Amino acid sequence: MCIKTIKSWLASALFVLFASGSPGFVNGGGNIAIAQTQYITGTVVDDFGEPIIGANIRVKDTTKGAITDLNGKFSLDVAPGQIIEISFVGFSTQTVAAVSGMKIILKEDTQSLDDVVVVGYGVQKKKLVTGATVQVKGDDIQKLSTTSALTAMQSQSPGVTIMQNNGQAGEGFKVNIRGLGTTGNSDPLYVVDGVAGGSLNDLNPADIESIDVLKDAASAAIYGARAANGVILITTKQGKSGKLQISYDGYYGQQYLYKAPDVLNAQEYIYSRQLREFNGGAAEPEWQAKLPAAIYESLFDADGNVLRNGWKGTNWIDESYHKGAVTQNHSVNLTGGSDVSKFSFGFSYTGQDGILGGENQSQFDRYNMRLNSSHTLLRSKDNSYSVITVGENLNIVHSSRTGISQGSMYWNNVHDLMNANPLLPVRDADGNYYTNAEMSADGWTLGAAINPLAIANTTSQGLNESNSWTVNASAYLEIQPIRNLIYKSQFSYRFGNSSYRAMTRVHSSGTNVATQDNASQSTDSWSNISFENTLNYRLDINRHNIDIVLGQTIEQNKFGEHLEASGNNLLFGDSWNHAYLDNAQIKKLADVRVGGHPTSDSSLASFFGRVNYNFNEKYMLQATVRTDGSSNFAKGHRWGIFPSASAGWVVTNEEFMESVRDIMDFFKIRVSWGQNGNCNIPNFQYLTQVGFNNSDAYYFGVGNHEEATTGGSFNVLGNPELTWETSEQLNIGIDARFLDSRLGLTFDWYKKTTKDWLVRAPILGVYGIGAPYINGGDVENKGIEFSLSWNDQLNNGLRYGITANMSYNKNEVTKLTNAEGIIHGPGAVWHQLEGEVYRAQVGQPIGFFYGFDTKGVFQNGEQIRQFSEKYEDKLHGGNDKLKPGDLIFRDTNGDDVIDDNDRTMIGDPHPDVTVGLNLNLAYKGFDFSVTGAGAFGQQILRTWANQDFLTENLNKKIVYGSWKGEGTSNKLPLFDGFDTPNWKYMSAAMLENGDYFKIQNVTLGYDFKRLWKSCPLQQLRVYVAANNLITFTKYTGMDPEVASSGGTSDSWAAGIDTGVYPSPRTYLVGINLKF
Amino acid sequence: MKFNKFYILWIASTLTFSGCDDFLDSQDYTGKNSTNFPSTTEDVNKMVAAVYKSTFYGPFQGNNLEQYFSVANIMSDDMFGGAGVGDPWWQGLDHLMYAQTNQMQDLWTYSYEAIARANSALSVIDNIADEETHNQTKGELLFMRAYNYYNLVLTFNNVPVIEKAPETVEEAQIAPEQRDGKEVLKLIADDLYEACECMPSYPYDGWSKLAFGKVTRWAAETLLARAFLFYTGFYGESEMPKTEGSINKQYVVDKLDDCIKNSGHDLLSDYRSLWAYSNQYTAKDYDFVNDMLEAGTCYKEGNKEVILAINFQYQPAWSNKLHLTNQYGLFFGIRADNNNAGDERFHVGTATSVYPFSTGWGCGTVATNLVTDWKNIEPDDPRRDASILAFPASLKPETFSDACELTMYHNKKIPSVRSAGGQRLSWSLDQMGADATETGNYQASNCTPLTVYRFADVLLMYSELMQDATTLNRVRNRVGLPAVAYSEQALRNERRWELAFEGSRWDDLRRWNIAGEALAKQAGQVMYNCGKPTTMPEAGSGYKQRYNETKGFYRIPKSQIDLSGGKYKQNAGWEDDAKTQFAGY
Repeated sequence: MCIKTIKSWLASALFVLFASGSPGFVNGGGNIAIAQTQYITGTVVDDFGEPIIGANIRVKDTTKGAITDLNGKFSLDVAPGQIIEISFVGFSTQTVAAVSGMKIILKEDTQSLDDVVVVGYGVQKKKLVTGATVQVKGDDIQKLSTTSALTAMQSQSPGVTIMQNNGQAGEGFKVNIRGLGTTGNSDPLYVVDGVAGGSLNDLNPADIESIDVLKDAASAAIYGARAANGVILITTKQGKSGKLQISYDGYYGQQYLYKAPDVLNAQEYIYSRQLREFNGGAAEPEWQAKLPAAIYESLFDADGNVLRNGWKGTNWIDESYHKGAVTQNHSVNLTGGSDVSKFSFGFSYTGQDGILGGENQSQFDRYNMRLNSSHTLLRSKDNSYSVITVGENLNIVHSSRTGISQGSMYWNNVHDLMNANPLLPVRDADGNYYTNAEMSADGWTLGAAINPLAIANTTSQGLNESNSWTVNASAYLEIQPIRNLIYKSQFSYRFGNSSYRAMTRVHSSGTNVATQDNASQSTDSWSNISFENTLNYRLDINRHNIDIVLGQTIEQNKFGEHLEASGNNLLFGDSWNHAYLDNAQIKKLADVRVGGHPTSDSSLASFFGRVNYNFNEKYMLQATVRTDGSSNFAKGHRWGIFPSASAGWVVTNEEFMESVRDIMDFFKIRVSWGQNGNCNIPNFQYLTQVGFNNSDAYYFGVGNHEEATTGGSFNVLGNPELTWETSEQLNIGIDARFLDSRLGLTFDWYKKTTKDWLVRAPILGVYGIGAPYINGGDVENKGIEFSLSWNDQLNNGLRYGITANMSYNKNEVTKLTNAEGIIHGPGAVWHQLEGEVYRAQVGQPIGFFYGFDTKGVFQNGEQIRQFSEKYEDKLHGGNDKLKPGDLIFRDTNGDDVIDDNDRTMIGDPHPDVTVGLNLNLAYKGFDFSVTGAGAFGQQILRTWANQDFLTENLNKKIVYGSWKGEGTSNKLPLFDGFDTPNWKYMSAAMLENGDYFKIQNVTLGYDFKRLWKSCPLQQLRVYVAANNLITFTKYTGMDPEVASSGGTSDSWAAGIDTGVYPSPRTYLVGINLKF
Repeated sequence: MKFNKFYILWIASTLTFSGCDDFLDSQDYTGKNSTNFPSTTEDVNKMVAAVYKSTFYGPFQGNNLEQYFSVANIMSDDMFGGAGVGDPWWQGLDHLMYAQTNQMQDLWTYSYEAIARANSALSVIDNIADEETHNQTKGELLFMRAYNYYNLVLTFNNVPVIEKAPETVEEAQIAPEQRDGKEVLKLIADDLYEACECMPSYPYDGWSKLAFGKVTRWAAETLLARAFLFYTGFYGESEMPKTEGSINKQYVVDKLDDCIKNSGHDLLSDYRSLWAYSNQYTAKDYDFVNDMLEAGTCYKEGNKEVILAINFQYQPAWSNKLHLTNQYGLFFGIRADNNNAGDERFHVGTATSVYPFSTGWGCGTVATNLVTDWKNIEPDDPRRDASILAFPASLKPETFSDACELTMYHNKKIPSVRSAGGQRLSWSLDQMGADATETGNYQASNCTPLTVYRFADVLLMYSELMQDATTLNRVRNRVGLPAVAYSEQALRNERRWELAFEGSRWDDLRRWNIAGEALAKQAGQVMYNCGKPTTMPEAGSGYKQRYNETKGFYRIPKSQIDLSGGKYKQNAGWEDDAKTQFAGY
C-alpha cells in the first residue's frame, strides 16, 4: 500500500472521529438536578492496595458519575446511603452505599456469575443461559499475539474445530461447530456487531470486545435461516462513558521454521535409488551418463564410488528459507464519552512476512480502522433511560497479500520444495536459475527435474498479489417510548472490492514451461444491504421476568461485478512491478483472455420472535421461532420455519440445596432443542441450467482452430422442489461452580441431525445431464464438550488459573437418497493414477479416507506361505509375486481374493477429540501464561511422497523407515519405488495419524507501572512471548494441522497434506500502554 | 415528534413485509435456463455445437483413454496397451480385462451426454426455418446420436436407450431398462437411414459450402455401411432391421455408390499426404517425406480424402481446456522416460532420433505380429513404413525405464508431430503462425485433426459388399501395388494395411468372426517392460478364451450399475471381478 493511501485514510479516519466523536470529550453535560446532595470522597484500590486509575463511579439509575484520578481517588455529589456502582474493565462491578471517605477494593474479574453474554439480538446473564454457548473475551484473544483471532480461539472454544488452511500469512481457516453437517459450505454464520455475514479474519484482535459462539440449535435459532452450521457473534469494542482512554498495543517478532522436513541430501538420494534397485524396483541410473560432468565429479570419485565428503546437494528448504522473517502488529484504541455520546475508535496495522519462498517472500499486510459511537438524543423525563439513541459501527479493512502456491500437489511450492531433486543446483554459473535450458546444455539426462525456486519466482505461483478493501457500515436508531420497550431499527451496508494480479515470465522448469510471458488482472466488487427492525420488551412482575423480542430483517446481495483479463507478450517481461495489462503487446486472439459477470442477485427475508421467561432466576424457559424466505428456491418452496425451545433450572437456588452451597455455589441444568436452516447453494438450482462456456465449444473450419462455436446445452437438471436443509439439535448441559466459584465446570452433550441435506448426489450417466441439487440425505453429529477451570489467589498474592477443555464429536452420514448412497471424491488427488481417496457414504463419516486396509508387512516367506493358503493377492499381481517386505492387504469382503473390491474405510481426516489448555499466573505485576491446543484421532494423507514424484526427493523418514528385513518395520513396506503395488495403492500404510498437541503461546509480561508509580500511564506492560513453541506429534510432515482438501473444491475433504506451508515458530516482544 | 418518527419507521418496515415474495425473485444475468432457451436459431446452433463437443471431445474431459477410437485400436490385434508401469488399465484393455472398477466410465457418460444433447436439439430442430439447413442439421444430429449408440453398443452390448431428458429429479433417479444390443442397433439403423435420406448433397469442394469438421451426407453413408457390415457379420444375418422394415445390402451399396460418384471425395495421390508428419514445416528436416516439399503433396488439413475428422482447437499453453486439443497425439505419442525436456531422442540428426514424432504417454505400441504379418504377406507395401516407425537400432530399450509393452515399433498416424528439427513440440504452432521463439506445450499444442472416416474405407467397403476387386485395386494402385483378384482374404488384408491404427480393425475382426485367433497371435511376442526383455503374456484366461467369454464386449462400469440400484446386468465374461482384473506389471 502506498503512502498516499495511508495518508488519505488517516485523514478521513480522523475526520470521522472528530465529526462524530467529539461530544465524547465533553464530560458531564447531562442534567443537573436532585437536591440534598453533598460531595463524598473515596478511593478505589485493587487487591494489593494499588490505586485503580480511571475506575467508573456511577450513582445507580442516574447519569451522575465520576472517575478515579491517578491516586485512585474520586469525589461525587451524592447523598450518603445512595447506591453507587463502581466498575472497571477486568474487575467485578461492585454496588455499595455511598459513605464519605470510603475505600473500595475491587476484585479482579474471574468469570463471575454476573457475566453477560451476547445472544442474538440482545444480551443475557450467563447464569440464565439455557443453550450451549461459549464466550471468548477480546482480552484473552489479544494477549496471544496472533494475526487472526481464530488462531487464538483454538484453545478457548470447546466444540469449535478451528484449523488453519496453512501457515502462510493471511490464509483462511476451516471452522466447524460441532462437526460437519454437510458437503456444502460448512462455515458458521459470522455476525459482527449485529450484522450478519462479516468475517473474523478481517478484524484485528485488538478491536474485539468479545466473541460468542452459539453452538446449539436453540441459541442459534434466532438466526434460523443460516444457523445450521452454528453462529459466531463478534462484538467490537464499544464506547464507554468516562475518562478518555487511549491505549497502544504492539508487538514485533521474528519467525522461524519449526520443523524442517527430512529431505534427502545428495548422498542419501543416491542411496535411495540404489535401494530401489536392490529391492527390485527400477534400475539405478547410470550417474555418469545422466549427470552433467561438474555435478558428477562433485559426488563421485574416479572409480564411480560415492564421495563421502562430496557435495551434499541442494537443500531446497534451506535455500528458500527466510530466517527471522518479521511479524508485527500495532494498534491504537481510543475510548471515551459522556452520557450523551460515547465512542470507540481503533486503528491498527498488522504485517507478517513469510518464512518460505526464496527471493519472492510471501507477505501479508492488514490495516483496520474502526469507529463505533452512540448518541442519546432524548432522555426520559426522570433521566433514568434514553428515549432516542442513534449510533453507528464502521469498520474499514484493507489487506494485501502475496504468497506462494498452496493448491493441489501440482500447484504447490512447498510440495515442490520438499520433493525437488537434491542433485539439481539452484543457479547456473551466471547466477540464473538452473532450469531446462541449462540442464540440456550441461547434459543433464537424469529425468525432468523442477527447480521450485525458479517456479516460485518466475511464475504466477509466486508472482501474485491480492488486495481487498472492505467497508462494513451500520447505523441504528433506538427508541424507548416507555421503559423497557425498545424499538431498534438498523440499516447496514457492506461493500468491498478485491483485486488480483499475477505474472508468469518466460521460463521452463521440468514440465512447467511458458514460452510467452503473461500478466493477468482481475477485480471483484460486491455489496450487501440489510435492514432490520426489532422490538424488545422486558417485563418484571414480582419474581417473574419476561423478555420478548420480535423482529424482521431483509438482506440482499446486489451491485457486484467481476472483471478479469490476461494478456501475453509483456513490454517489461522481466519485471513484476510492470506486470500490468497495459504492458501486454497483444498480437493475436490467443494472447488475450477476458471475462466479466455480475454478482447474481440473492435475497433473504425473515421474521422472528423470542420469549424468555425466568422465575426468580431459578427456572428459565425460552422459545424462539424464525421464518425465512430465500431467493435460492422456487416460489412455493422458499419459506422455512425454524422453531426452538429450551429450559434451565438453577438447582442451587432451591432451598433444599442450601446445605451444599458451601461447596457448590452454582449448579444449572440446561436442555434445549431446535431446528436451524441452511440454504447455502448456488442460485437458480430450481431451474434447468443451460451452460455456455468456451470449454464446451467445437471448432469448424480449416486452419484457424481458434474461433470455435460455443456450445449451449442443458447441463444441470433443475429441481423446483428444492428447499431448506434443516439441522435439528438436542443439547443437554450443566454449568456448575464449586468452592467459592474457584472451580468451574461446564458439560454438554448434543446430537445434531442434519436433515434434507442439500447435496449434489451423482445420478445415472445415461441421462447425460449434470446431477441436480437435491434434499438428499441425513448427517448425524453426536458429541460431548467438557470444560473445567480453577482460579484462585494465594495469600502471598499469587493468582493462578487453569482451564482445560475437551470436546468429542462423532460424525456419520445416515442417509443418502441416490441409488448408490455415495458421493465420490475426485481421482488424482493423492497421485495422478489413483482414483478417489475420500468420499461420503452412508454409515461413515463425511470425507473418510477410502482405500485398502493393511495388516502390516510380510516379514518372511513362511508368513507368505500361510497367507497363500487362504488368500489370493491380485493387487500384487498374484501370490507368486509376493515377497517379504510387501504390504499385507486385508480381504475386507471375505471372498479370499484381494482386489479392487476390498477398498474400504481406512481413516477419518476429522479429529475425534480436540482439547484446549490455558494456564495463567500473576504475581506482583508479573504475568505468565501458557496456551495449548490439540486434536486427536484424525489421519493425514501425504501427497509429498508418492509415485508421481518417484525420481525426486523423498522424505528420509520414509525411505529409511521402510522395511529392511525381518522385524524392521510392520507399517511401511520395503522401498521398491513408488510405482509398485506397495506404494501406488491408496492404503492404510500411506496414512499417518495426525494427533498433535501444540504449545501455541507462552507469554511472560511485567507491568512497569508497579516499579514506576508516578508514571502517567495506567499500564506499562512489556512482554515477551513465543508462539507455536512446541508441537507434540508423530506426524512426519512439517505441520500436523492439515485442513487442506488437497486442492479440490470439496470443503468437506480434509487431512490431505499436499505440502502445507507450516506455521512458523515466532518469538516476539510486545508492549501494552494505557493512558 | 417522537411518535411520528416511530410511526414512519413502522410504516416502512410494514411495506417491506408485504413485498416479500417479489423481493425474493432473482434474475440470472449471464446464463440461460429451460424457461428462455432455446429461443433463437442461434440457440439451436449452439445446441448442435454442444453435441459435436460431447461426441468428439467429450471423453478426454476425464483425461484418460476412454474413446471408442482408442479402445478399438488397443483391443485389436494390431496394438498392445503400451504406456507405463503405472498404467494397467491400458494394458488390461488389450487383454480384455479391466484394471479399475469404473474403467470406461467416460466412454459411457460422455456418449450419453452427447445423446441427451442430441435429443434435446432434435426436439427443437423445427425452429430452423430454412429447409435445407434444417435437413442438414437434422442429419448431423441423427448421425451423432447413431455414432454414440454405435460406440456404446459395440463396447457394452446391452445399453439403455434414452428418448428424452428426465423432467423431474425423481425421474432422473430411475434407471431406464437396459436394451438388447441388437435392439439398439435397430435404432441406429433408423437414425442413419433417416440421415441418409434427409441430408442434402454437398460435394467436396474444399469445404466452402460446409465447414470442415461438419458431418456430411457422406459421413452418414459411411457409418451406415460400417454398421450394416458389423450387424450382418457379427450376428450372421443378411439384413439390418430397422424399427419398421430393414436395410438390405442393395440399399447400402446404393449409398456407397452415391458417395463414390457424388461426394467429390477421392484418394490423394500420395499415401503419406494423409498424415501430419508430411506437413511442409516438418518435411524440411524429415528425410522420409523430404521429396514431398517439391512435389507439393505435403499434408493439408481438410484434404479431399477425408470424409469426417475430429477438428481440434488450438491452446498454445497448458490449460484446463486440454480436452479441446488433440489428446490422442499425446496419449499415443512415444513414451519419454519421465523426461519431457531436453531429450535428444525427439530431435533431428541424432543417432537415436525418432523425429518428428513427439513425446507422449506411449499408449498403443505397435504389435510385432502386425509387423511380421505385413512383411510376410505384402513385403513391398510402402504403407508399412508410412504407418509404422521402427526405432533406430541405436535407441536401446533400456532407455525406456518405465515403459511397458514396448515393442520398439510405434505408429506414425496418431502421435503429435514436431517441427523445427524437434525444437517445436508441435507443428501446429507453425500452422498457427506462432512466433519463432515459441516451442509450445507438449500436452496442449497439438490441434491436428484426427481422421474418423476417409474415402479409401468407402472404396474397400464397396468392394467387400460387391465382392469385386475394382475399387480395392484403386486403393492398391495408389501405393503402386499390383492389382489382385477379389478374395475374402485379399480384402481383409487390404483393410488391415490401408486402415492400420485408424480404429476399424477391431470391428472388422469381430464381424469376420476371426477375433479370437487374431488376438491370440499377440501372446508370446517379444516386448520390453521397464527396459527388460520379456514376452507378451496370456493374462487372465488368455486372449482367445477372453474373447470367447466376452464376445469383445467390455465391462459395464461398476458405479453405473450401483447407481441403477443393481438394475443393470453385467456383461457375460465379466461376472467375476477377481478373475478379470489385470493387476499390471
